[in-house]
Amino acid sequence: MTNILRLFRSRLALRAAASIVAIVGVLGIAFLLSAVHLRAESEKKIQQTRLEGLISTVERTAQIACFLEDHQLADEVTQGLLSNRIVREARLIRGDGSALADHVNANEHSSGTPITRAINSPFEPGRQVCRLMLVPDQDWIDSMVNNATRFLSVALVLQLSGIGLSVILVVFYFVTRPISDISQKLHALEAETGQKLPPPGGHHKDEIGTLVHSVNAMIDRLVSSLSEERRQRLAREIEERRYRTLFDNVEAGIFELDDQGQLLSANPAFCRLFLEGRALDLDAPLIAFTTLASEGGPTLQELTTRRARRDGTREWEMAVGEGDRRRWVNVMVSRLEEGRLQGVAHDITERRRAAEAAEKLAVTDPLTGLGNRLGFERRLGVIDRYQRLHPEYQHALMMLDFDHFKQVNDVYGHHAGDEVLKQIAGMLRAISRQHDYPARLGGDEFVLLLDHRTPRDDLAGMAQRLIDSINQPLILSSGQQVRLGVSIGIAVLGSDTREVQALVQLADQAMYRAKREGRNTWRFHDRNITFDI
Amino acid sequence: MPRFMHLARVTTMVLLIISTTTARADIVIVINEASAVRQISHSEAVNIFMGRYRRLPNDSVALPIDQAPLKARFYRALVQKDMAEINSYWARLVFSGRASPPQQTDTLKDLVDIVTHNNNALGYVDAAHMPPHMRVLLTLSESP
Repeated sequence: MTNILRLFRSRLALRAAASIVAIVGVLGIAFLLSAVHLRAESEKKIQQTRLEGLISTVERTAQIACFLEDHQLADEVTQGLLSNRIVREARLIRGDGSALADHVNANEHSSGTPITRAINSPFEPGRQVCRLMLVPDQDWIDSMVNNATRFLSVALVLQLSGIGLSVILVVFYFVTRPISDISQKLHALEAETGQKLPPPGGHHKDEIGTLVHSVNAMIDRLVSSLSEERRQRLAREIEERRYRTLFDNVEAGIFELDDQGQLLSANPAFCRLFLEGRALDLDAPLIAFTTLASEGGPTLQELTTRRARRDGTREWEMAVGEGDRRRWVNVMVSRLEEGRLQGVAHDITERRRAAEAAEKLAVTDPLTGLGNRLGFERRLGVIDRYQRLHPEYQHALMMLDFDHFKQVNDVYGHHAGDEVLKQIAGMLRAISRQHDYPARLGGDEFVLLLDHRTPRDDLAGMAQRLIDSINQPLILSSGQQVRLGVSIGIAVLGSDTREVQALVQLADQAMYRAKREGRNTWRFHDRNITFDI
Repeated sequence: MPRFMHLARVTTMVLLIISTTTARADIVIVINEASAVRQISHSEAVNIFMGRYRRLPNDSVALPIDQAPLKARFYRALVQKDMAEINSYWARLVFSGRASPPQQTDTLKDLVDIVTHNNNALGYVDAAHMPPHMRVLLTLSESP
């Protein structure tokens, strides 16, 4: 049963046939019933007409028989009527109700509705002489009706089944067969090779042909869009390979971070920069980017806060590694997508070193290697900031002025002057501690900026030691000896003044005081002596 | 002159037609003057002449007589049938013997003889040639 149902669902021809048979059957039964009904009615009418006709045939004789009350003739008439099988009983009835003649067929058939006809006198048309009553043989009539309707039924059934069969054949031939044909061809079709679906024979111009054309058009579109997609995929792969190569071979480190600041991917350059050449192990616990920096670089919060992530590209400089292997790296991080950051890292160690060298050059006196005026002023600026932050710090400034240095230049020449300056610089450097800053401001003008932790007594000792070492005879490369004296002025920031510019002037004044009071000595700034500044 | 001739001819024709009509005007059923029967109905005349009853209104036997020269005109007037139909009618009844056609006479004279000698005899004559000593029982007009 289920098999039949399944077959029914899968076969259009079968379903169409069943539907047609059902429709034809229902219509056929309706037609048949009405046709049989009509046929029966008309057959009944025919039989009725036949009875009437029989009566008309014998009417004249019956008239005469009745007119003359001739029994013999009346019997003749009634018996003659009975010879028709349709008549079961024929009776001639006089005006007074008695029968002139009455004959009944000797069978067991049932009687139909009797027909009575008034029989008039043959000579006086309006004068009724008797009545002729015919009782039809209902069984005979029924059998006649049945015969007629049976023929009709057979004819109709044959016709309807013929129509049904024709429709099934037509549907099969014109619809289902072409469709299954198309379906099979479609299965076997190799659309990629540009093969087309041929329309079934004889269906080039009709709806099935149109369907095939539409399918072909659709195949064309699909194939072209497929090949377009394939081409794009190929192009994308090439592009991707190109980027991959770039990613792998570029000198810049490229990396990706999640929203926790942890490394998701990194290219070889990044690994070289940050991981000492080890590849990023994606199975190991994730590495937080911030732990890679030994100095500088972004904090976790800077990397991961929502606002920070929303901003555009941000940039940091950070150091990686310690000691000789310390490298400086510039890192630019930008948002790639939600919860994903992309970064580019450049090794800027060389640049940074160059910058540092340039910086150092800018603040260094080329002759002596000490700081120059620019360096001194910058250091003053730093000290100024320290002073504001820590008012208790006491930075001291020594200002040196050599006695009769001009004569050295005049007597021994500039070359010797330079040599002297270099030796003095060496002395200054020798006496300076780690955080002290000796500088040559120009000519024979030297300063020494001292650490804030230097007590006043130490300052005096240092000044005296400096004078002593300078007073030693200086032996030039030419073998000549030069003796120099020096006057030193000392001012202390924090106790003498709080302004660095004032500090320089105070030290200068103290230096002049030393000069005035005998040269080759040192003086602190004397708070009791006021100068107009 | 020709015009007069034409008129005369038309007049003659009209007169001829009128005279003919008049000549075939009526047929009467007659009986002997001596009979007690005064008249019969048309229906009684049909019954008697077509063999249904051979009986007069006074219950005496009726004896209908046909007269050959007038027979066709008579039956035409009585039952609106021609001779073929009348003959066919009687032919049907030959075998049953239930009824028989009226006695046949060839001339008016024969008829008059029979009617004169038999009080029960009925005959029919042209109303224009009514014999003496006869009583008219029924007049049948020959209107078309």
